Amino acid sequence: MTLAYEPGGTIAHRLDPRSKLGVQIAFAVAAFAHTTPRGLLVLTALGGVLLAVARLPLRRALWELRFAVVLVSLPVLIEGLVWDTPPFSIAEAREPALASYRVLLIVLVSTTYVRSTPIRDSEAAIRWAIPGKAGRLLATGVALVFRFLPVLRADLAAIRQAMAARLGTERPLIDRMELIAVGGLQRAFGRADRLALAMNARCFAWNPTLPDLGFSRVDLLAFCLIGVLLTWTVL
Amino acid sequence: MSTETSGVDLVGDETARNLARAALFAALTGAFAYVSFPNPVSPAPITLQVLGVFLAGIMLGPVWGGVSMALYLLAGAVGVPIFAGGSAGIGILFGSTAGYLWSYPITAVLIGVLVHGGFEVGDSSAASTTRLVGAMVAGVVVIYGLGVLGIMVVNDVGLVAAFLAGAAAFIPAEALKIAAALGIVRNERLTAT
Repeated sequence: MTLAYEPGGTIAHRLDPRSKLGVQIAFAVAAFAHTTPRGLLVLTALGGVLLAVARLPLRRALWELRFAVVLVSLPVLIEGLVWDTPPFSIAEAREPALASYRVLLIVLVSTTYVRSTPIRDSEAAIRWAIPGKAGRLLATGVALVFRFLPVLRADLAAIRQAMAARLGTERPLIDRMELIAVGGLQRAFGRADRLALAMNARCFAWNPTLPDLGFSRVDLLAFCLIGVLLTWTVL
Repeated sequence: MSTETSGVDLVGDETARNLARAALFAALTGAFAYVSFPNPVSPAPITLQVLGVFLAGIMLGPVWGGVSMALYLLAGAVGVPIFAGGSAGIGILFGSTAGYLWSYPITAVLIGVLVHGGFEVGDSSAASTTRLVGAMVAGVVVIYGLGVLGIMVVNDVGLVAAFLAGAAAFIPAEALKIAAALGIVRNERLTAT
């Protein structure tokens, strides 16, 4: 199962989405500023605390990010290769390894947001952060992407099954890509046009009633953390 | 009986239709990340994500194609599992694939401008093959240029290591995607709609 929002009562769930986004960005900024063994040690400890606060087991988070983990490690392994015996130089790979570990920490911390924030809250946060019509379009668009991803995945899976049943898997690769994409596009455009009609019929407006976002006392913790991380960055 | 409509600023039909198409295209590009084929020329499997970027620029044009890819990044950042391997989160936008991801909106706009000859959207199926291929090749250059640059910056490695890790195994498959995209643009099932 992919990592997604799960309802819960953890501190991470009770935080305002804006403070969670703030913590992630401050964490990333601090990690880029302190890519040293000592800096990364501090950030590792902090990352562990943040995962624990969201009640997200490390092993599960790493498994969900396995693709990212491979991509992060590969350049380090290649950079360490040298024409020598032994063929791997730790000195060459040291800086890239620190840089890559920093990326892994940032990605891990961002999984806590994914786990603890419903898309509706993110939508409200986007509308708060980006004013005017652009924010309205982007927030609605994100909600639509979330809503339609499973539907379009099911469309593509159905097309692949139908192809396999007709021995379509024997066709040349370009033909197969074309068939799947054409089928997927045709259905996506059909769905988009019906959706647009339905939105207009329901008075899709630039100025809808916004859900209330409010900071609470737990958000103070997040503000303090953002302050500490940003201060540490400039020190 | 009259209906009170003052204060409600309705979104126009055309904008609503374009937004719906852009959002659905972003979702489709995300769904393409889950479709993989064995690669005949390289060990890395082929996914169709980049095909989504090409088609966004060609079919939606530079403006809405760019919006569509911006939506893709934003939706992935707030937790919709649409990045490679079904991952999500703002951290991915700082990760090893950051250069590729940030290049998607730029590429969609670039391909849109090259195919439609400006910001006005015309009939993409009427564009010449040379123009379509040229636009997509330019797109591949931008995607892999920024992608490799991203790996160099984020992972702190040299050009050669970044190219070997992030581009060498994937670039041959792009020729197949360009060929597939040509067929898709001219496909009568789509040109009829």
